[in-house]
Amino acid sequence: MPAAHPSLRELKLLELSSGAAGPVAARYFAEQGATVVRVESAKRPDFLRILQLTPDSPHGLDGAPMFILLNPNKESVSVNLKTAEGKQIVERLVAWADVVLENFSPGVMARLGLDYQRLRRVRPDLIMLSGCLFGQTGPQRGYPGFGGQGTAIAGFNHLTGWPDRESYGPYGTLTDSLAPRYAALAVAGALLERRRTGRGQYIDLSQIEAGVYSLSELVVRYAANGEIPSRRGNRSEQAAPHAVVPCAGEDRWIAIAVFDDDSWRALCRVMGDPDWARDPDYATGEGRLRHEPELDRRLAEWTSGVEPYALMAKLQAAGVEAGVVQTLDDLLADPQLAHRGHFEEIEHAHLGRLRFERSGFRLSENPGGLDRPGPNLGEHNQRVLGEYLGLDAVEIAALAELGALE
Amino acid sequence: MPGSLEGVRVIDLTDPRGFLAGKILADMGADVIKLEPPGGDPARCRGPFLGGVADPERSLLWLALNTSKRGITLDLAAERGRELYRALIETADVVLESFAPGELAARGLGYETLREAHPQLVHCAITPFGQTGPYAGYRGHDLVAVAMGGNAALTGDPDRPPVRCSMPTAYYHAAPEAALGITFALLAREETGRGQFVDVSLQECQLQTLLSAPGQHARDPRAQRRTGARTGRTREIWAAKDGYVTFGLRGGPARIPNLIATVEYMAASGVAPAWLCEYDWSSFNHNTVSDEEIERLEAAFGAFFRTRTMRELYEEALERRILLAPCNDVRELAEHPQLRDREFFVTLEYPELGAAIEHPGFFARSSNDGIRLRGRAPQIGEHNSEIFEALGVSETALAELVSEGVV
Repeated sequence: MPAAHPSLRELKLLELSSGAAGPVAARYFAEQGATVVRVESAKRPDFLRILQLTPDSPHGLDGAPMFILLNPNKESVSVNLKTAEGKQIVERLVAWADVVLENFSPGVMARLGLDYQRLRRVRPDLIMLSGCLFGQTGPQRGYPGFGGQGTAIAGFNHLTGWPDRESYGPYGTLTDSLAPRYAALAVAGALLERRRTGRGQYIDLSQIEAGVYSLSELVVRYAANGEIPSRRGNRSEQAAPHAVVPCAGEDRWIAIAVFDDDSWRALCRVMGDPDWARDPDYATGEGRLRHEPELDRRLAEWTSGVEPYALMAKLQAAGVEAGVVQTLDDLLADPQLAHRGHFEEIEHAHLGRLRFERSGFRLSENPGGLDRPGPNLGEHNQRVLGEYLGLDAVEIAALAELGALE
Repeated sequence: MPGSLEGVRVIDLTDPRGFLAGKILADMGADVIKLEPPGGDPARCRGPFLGGVADPERSLLWLALNTSKRGITLDLAAERGRELYRALIETADVVLESFAPGELAARGLGYETLREAHPQLVHCAITPFGQTGPYAGYRGHDLVAVAMGGNAALTGDPDRPPVRCSMPTAYYHAAPEAALGITFALLAREETGRGQFVDVSLQECQLQTLLSAPGQHARDPRAQRRTGARTGRTREIWAAKDGYVTFGLRGGPARIPNLIATVEYMAASGVAPAWLCEYDWSSFNHNTVSDEEIERLEAAFGAFFRTRTMRELYEEALERRILLAPCNDVRELAEHPQLRDREFFVTLEYPELGAAIEHPGFFARSSNDGIRLRGRAPQIGEHNSEIFEALGVSETALAELVSEGVV
């Protein structure tokens, strides 16, 4: 891995989680060179290992593309937490680790005897984060939802779509990608704090609260003025045109946004200064906002026969904000993402070469990187139990015999 | 209680694309100094305003996203302003900005220049596409980032254009990512004594919203289109009596009990068709079930949901552990019993505006209580005196700078 992070190279993170949000939080550390060990069990596999599973899936739990893609650079140890010996293994791993990250339903860790109060006896300066949908306290903490429910509850669905149609979430259960960033940040901050004070901490992160915190502007507008904003298609309150309009080709689109009069004049020049655009109403932002439906229609007429990338280049060169609505195929071929090394190709034993993804920032001195695919279940039992915990082959065999490693 | 970032000074030069990033650092205890041009940040002119009164001190965008920061005014276009900025940088750990690549360098304030004198400096830039590369010079706000980042193509109805969320989610994704990159850089500095550049791309941050869909597509290409209220083959958004709820027929065997519980709820309400009550869920697999079967099930569930309000459905869902949730608006959030119970909202006082406003109080709860709002957003030049005096600018000199329009 290129230039691993100096302070994270020695960092050991223990992860008891499933789905997207918890594992993605830990991935930030794995990408920067930390040792991340996932505790898993075939008795209750991560649902991403079974989400796409059908009876004829050839590699079973070890062939789930989404799991593999979201968990690069990690190690997997299989532990049955229902057994006393399994719990002891986790306690020993906590003593080994710097950070514990879990996203079970609230109360599950306590029932297993693995809650923070107990684990900090094993490691007094432990940093532990519990992530879940609603947080560890409160009347609805037991609600069993996932990111799709979190996104709706946090208010993002109501804000997405067309005013005359049903609301739907932005693709990809938005709080599932928002929450892990805050989780990783809270842990990174806690590491900095522990260096300074020697103290650990417990962090209770609710995916919904992280979403609503991001929507502070919305909450403040309601609290101050009683305003209840709703979905408005692609319209903006500051810019017009601010639209997605069709281009040449099957289902091809371009986003165009005009935030000031200079950009409007530039757009007119690129369009060849058509007569309709000379209407003085369009010369000001206010006027353009007032005439938005007509503007969008005119713009669409002009763009609909044009190749989207050529149009984007032409508009951007003239100083007009424009971006092609990129499909998954487009992203895989995007020269800017390629320049940033966003996709890293790594070979997987069962699935062949896969394209893994980097996070959205690059550190100039410690860029980090990805070089191992998401692990098979229990792939690293020998390393974790032998090397990290110092158990010998006989002890490991005995644990397996007792069913602690299932 | 001090926060995790206690003792870290951040100079925040961002526009609305980065306001939230600075707020996050400030809410974690960093000393974030928001730097505005004399007269105030242009974003202060953006409505809506508190009470509908247009005034740069009443912009709700400003008040919402600059909590816990201090504020100064300084003209970076003036040479004297740049001198003071360099003096300020000597006291700083982090610069956070969202200028177009090269714009600060053109003023002699780029990272390459500043780091010579201040190798410990961490410099974070949030831009649409990153600092270098073929699109680095391209402009973009939220809509362009959401389009180029792949989310828009998959969001919306098939018979209409791709669509974005009406709030700028591209900034929401980039903000904690920038704060994380900065915190990683601060951790590295503990070892090396040196800072570094943190290059954040709005576009690249968007890709994570796809949760590995590009990688899955590269391996197994399938035409993916926006499917509106459906996820894949099955309906995800349903009309209730007074709004919309999410509920899915998908998700594998683990979710079967929730489908059975839904049927029981319908049966208890006396509206479950006989065939549904006797349905054999043991062999149900959303990957292999036929289109006709999906249609039949959806018609039955849909008819029932339309007879109940969002709240009624959600209360039963909580009781019966059904994966159904309301598509809340902001009022429902503000009144949410769970958020209220956790004291998620905090009231900030605005005595000079005669107002008190509730804000979301934290993004996570720390046992050290380090993540929380520390105060309201700064007024124009509110902290000029204390910050410039600490830089050795006398009261008279400051008055002069103000009259010259530098401060």
